[in-house]
Amino acid sequence: MSLDISRETQKISERRIPLGTLGHLAVFLWCLVLVLSSTPENMFWITGLCIVVLMILYPGVWRSIINARRLLLLGLIAIPPLYFLGDVDKIFLGIPYSSVGSIISLHIGLKFIVVLMALEGMTSAVEISALAGILERFGLKGLGFSMGVAVNLLPSLQKSCTQSWLALKMRGGLRKSWWKGLKLFSLTSITCALKRAEEIALAAESRAFSPEKTRPLPIARSPIDWVVFSLTCLSVLLII
Amino acid sequence: MKFSTKNLVTLAVFGTLWGISEITLGTLFKTLNIPLSGVLLSVIGLSIALIGRIFVPKKGSTLFIGVIAMLLKLFSLGGVVLGPMIGILGEAVIAEVILSLTGKPRLGTLTLAGSLSVLWVLAQPFVTNPILYGRTVFVVWEKVINNGSQLLGLRTNAVFWILGIMTCIHLISGVVAGIISWTLGRRLQQRVGLSSEE
Repeated sequence: MSLDISRETQKISERRIPLGTLGHLAVFLWCLVLVLSSTPENMFWITGLCIVVLMILYPGVWRSIINARRLLLLGLIAIPPLYFLGDVDKIFLGIPYSSVGSIISLHIGLKFIVVLMALEGMTSAVEISALAGILERFGLKGLGFSMGVAVNLLPSLQKSCTQSWLALKMRGGLRKSWWKGLKLFSLTSITCALKRAEEIALAAESRAFSPEKTRPLPIARSPIDWVVFSLTCLSVLLII
Repeated sequence: MKFSTKNLVTLAVFGTLWGISEITLGTLFKTLNIPLSGVLLSVIGLSIALIGRIFVPKKGSTLFIGVIAMLLKLFSLGGVVLGPMIGILGEAVIAEVILSLTGKPRLGTLTLAGSLSVLWVLAQPFVTNPILYGRTVFVVWEKVINNGSQLLGLRTNAVFWILGIMTCIHLISGVVAGIISWTLGRRLQQRVGLSSEE
């Protein structure tokens, strides 16, 4: 399996309003704060507002929400209150349900959709290096470099782990003393990874890389970032 | 939190390994609906993170590994899954706090960090479900008890037994993670040579 910074994400990122990293993060946090502070009385217009804003910013984001696994998860989270909260006092198509529970179910379902849409939109728009750059500015110095190494290492480590696993399996290493086999597998995989890490560290140092002297990874900026940031802050204050 | 180039690369390696285990095994376990898959995944992930701590015994290294794994999971195939991301970060933060307070990583400190971090898997739904999805604590509690009763074959009214046994399972799994990381970490140090912290 490989990282999905590709097709589906690219589809979503087509035709989008040019926001910078700060803008996308502000919108994401704005949605989270609003839905988390919503009550059953104001949930419709708050979640509606969030969904409209998210659809404008990330036009294709709904596509990634509608898949079997997520719908199943939504059902598992939203359906139980229909029967377990309040008295079962109403009937719909011959199925009894609780009217109090139905409101809570709806609230849970809408919250779930907004949180997923916001997160999916944000991750489709913001690059992994930009997030690392932000975290670097919050004290995790060197995270950008480490993330770069990690993303580049991912395919080769996956390949090396798979090869070690297959070699062990073909030699019967998992039959009788499977625990010893698993231990050997872990040792081999991590040793390979560490050897590779040593090479990368040497290569970086030979190019005069030093964590103290490097600047944090650049963050994508847009002129409307601060406008979006101010608007989200103001609207949160007004609504709450 | 100052790391050398070699430290950063080593942390990236362990973060990637944790990320790989979450991306591949996480999807597999969830698809196969393996019971206690969260515990199993956190044991594997924490073992890797704690080995990383042995190799880079500096404050912040476990958190660093956790953040890398979380970011890789965030951008992994299958899209955003909030639970595992919060789980990874929570486990990393707990392990980091314990290891930072107890000093140099030893068998005792690693097992303590492992056990309390794995316990987070049990506690996490009580924190995230009400905040993120608006589920009441009562509903989460009911689900935990029902799952425990199914898993252990006990009646649902034996609440304290279910909760006690589930807590013990999580704590013991964490201890196993600590022991694995200590054993493998030392073996690896012998194989690779000195730790990255010469």
